[in-house]
Amino acid sequence: MNDLQWAPIGPPQPIPPPLPPARVDFTGDRAEFRRMATKGAALELVTFGFYRFWLVTDIRRHLWSNTSIDGDAAEYTGRGKELLIGFLFALAILVPIYLAYFLVGIEFERWQGFASTPLFVSFYAFGQFAIYRARRYRLTRTVWRGVRFWMDGSGWAYSVRAMLWGLLVPLTLGLALPWREAALERYKMQHTHYGDLSGDFEGDGWEFFKRGWWLWLLTPIALVIFPLAPFLYAEFKAREWRWWLAGIRIGGVSLSSNLPHDAFYGLYWKVIGWWMLLSTLFGFYLAGATVLVVKLSGLPVDKALGPDGPAKNIPMLVMMVIGYFALALAINIVMRVYLQRDLWAKVLETVEVHDIAAAADVRGSGELASALGEGFADGLDVAGF
Amino acid sequence: MSDVSAEAMAGAEPGKPTIFFDGVSSRRHRVTLTLGDALVIGEEGEAPIRWAYADIRRADSPAGILRLACTSAPPLARLEIRDASLAAELTARCLLLDEHQTTRRGVAKIVGWSLAAAVSIVCVVLFGVPLAADRLAPLVPKPVERRIGDAAEVQMKTIFGRGTCDDVAGQAAFAKLVNRLRDVAGLDESMTAAVLPASVPNAFALPGGKVFLLKGLLDKAESPDEIAGILAHELGHLKHHDNMRGLIYNGGTSFLIGLLFGDVTGSSAVIFASRSVVEASYSRDAETNADTFAIETMHALGRSPKPAAELMFRITGKEGGSGFTILASHPLTEDRLARMTKEDRPASGPPLLTDAEWKALKGICGGSGKI
Repeated sequence: MNDLQWAPIGPPQPIPPPLPPARVDFTGDRAEFRRMATKGAALELVTFGFYRFWLVTDIRRHLWSNTSIDGDAAEYTGRGKELLIGFLFALAILVPIYLAYFLVGIEFERWQGFASTPLFVSFYAFGQFAIYRARRYRLTRTVWRGVRFWMDGSGWAYSVRAMLWGLLVPLTLGLALPWREAALERYKMQHTHYGDLSGDFEGDGWEFFKRGWWLWLLTPIALVIFPLAPFLYAEFKAREWRWWLAGIRIGGVSLSSNLPHDAFYGLYWKVIGWWMLLSTLFGFYLAGATVLVVKLSGLPVDKALGPDGPAKNIPMLVMMVIGYFALALAINIVMRVYLQRDLWAKVLETVEVHDIAAAADVRGSGELASALGEGFADGLDVAGF
Repeated sequence: MSDVSAEAMAGAEPGKPTIFFDGVSSRRHRVTLTLGDALVIGEEGEAPIRWAYADIRRADSPAGILRLACTSAPPLARLEIRDASLAAELTARCLLLDEHQTTRRGVAKIVGWSLAAAVSIVCVVLFGVPLAADRLAPLVPKPVERRIGDAAEVQMKTIFGRGTCDDVAGQAAFAKLVNRLRDVAGLDESMTAAVLPASVPNAFALPGGKVFLLKGLLDKAESPDEIAGILAHELGHLKHHDNMRGLIYNGGTSFLIGLLFGDVTGSSAVIFASRSVVEASYSRDAETNADTFAIETMHALGRSPKPAAELMFRITGKEGGSGFTILASHPLTEDRLARMTKEDRPASGPPLLTDAEWKALKGICGGSGKI
């Protein structure tokens, strides 16, 4: 203890007061986003889904450019066309893989019935690879202050880690989940860069576990009592976000969030409410359509619905298809508005950035990554947003 | 710096600074703009940067900020103008500002091409894939077909239990029945058939010429003609290469329909539904053709095809009126019964099995041969 008293030599240096943390603001207009999602969903229908590449790009452009950190807004520079090309390339690669999968599967089956079942694991591995590469694509299209984020590391190395941890989670009945998330996030963040700053992830599994272990205990109950499940999931997600944000480091910059534990209750219940409302409407619509068709065609009900009913009864089939598409479109819009835009805004308004000065003069570096990863993710249906 | 004031110069108000990022580092440069024959970005103590108006493009920005990029500058260089009047003045000079954005015409183009792609995919699913399956299936080399059949056989045996029924007298009766059908059907010697000890009333054909009859069906059968009709139907599948055709067809349509819908939310239901409808209709065609083959074979043997349909009807009951039969993989049993009844003719050939042989066949799986 004595040493400490002798430590300062000469007059005490004035310690600069710590700078207040920088704010993150989201200024996106909700109505504008809703219009964009509605128009995009309609175009998705008209184009049999091909418009998704452009819609997803528009959504990201909106979210990114309305997010400002320390007064400067980010920018998303990816384009829909890149995603389309990435998807087509991914298909060209996936087709031979599917064929090979089929042939290898036959050889396995000849040896032992259902022996090829574990082969689906290879698709899971491929999906993890795709997730990593898709993240790399999105990151290299993320620009702030004229410098882009980028990523190195290997998608396959990530995939192996994800697989091994993925094996451990079911073995421990989900208890290993916090450590899995910490390990995977560490890999991702340590290979994330902003210009010449390198990222890191300092969250640890134990910390996450301490915040959410009782949720793990309650899960079996929530599976039985339905209304509990959304609350539990919302609690879990809020804790996860908060823990994740607090762990992020980029150079000397760190984040923190005071996201309340009940932040997502409203969001999830609104989505469930909309979903129930829309399904009910769809049910009424179907009933109404059936009555109408039966009345107009004079067919008995079991004829209209029974053998060859919809097949021969073209009006009924058309009305069912239209109703289904309208339902899909509406649910699509609800999910995007609540679970992407509102969730984004809700999380961001709680985030503070510390020591942002470390990012004041960063040299740009890193190469653009191709959209192939997103294409794989799309083709394998593991796409995030 | 003072003598440039003759030109329009702004951006120096303290409240609404103009910020420049040079695309090389993340440093914020507070700059003043001079709108001359080109845009000049000036900063104290630095060489001015010139952006030609024709090269200036709009970049995404939040409301209230005009953010610009320049095609001849580093790709990530950005100029951010917060002053509305300066932004308006500059916008008026940059004629190609929004040239790179997706316009209405761009969206129309996306829609047009998507529709063209969708139409072509639908045409391929409806006409191309069935044609390819019909043409390719007979060309699949026998060893390949046999390998696929072996794999399927292992699976079937995992489900229905190992081992086949091998009562000696029963085997002889079964072989006699199968061989007669095979000769009439014109299939070669590589075809094999066996009875599996499973209680499910069913029979199936596997690629590579394997026919399996399940004991459950045998238990429900009341005459050799019933079993013969069912076996003839399965031989029809072998003759038509229906397994390979189905494999090629299902693989092709799944892939194409997946390609068409991609991952629109809720699309998995669409993919599943449209696949089921398309594949079921294809399978119904194949079943109808196999029935035709069974009718011809039974006629050639001088026996009626009707008992087989009666056996099926005993097992399934009336199927119509129960839900969406558009998804059914087989034609309705009552329709098949009606068809085979129409083809019913008095027996002109000898019985396919003697009473003793029939009794032996019923007892092929050992135990009491219930009749």
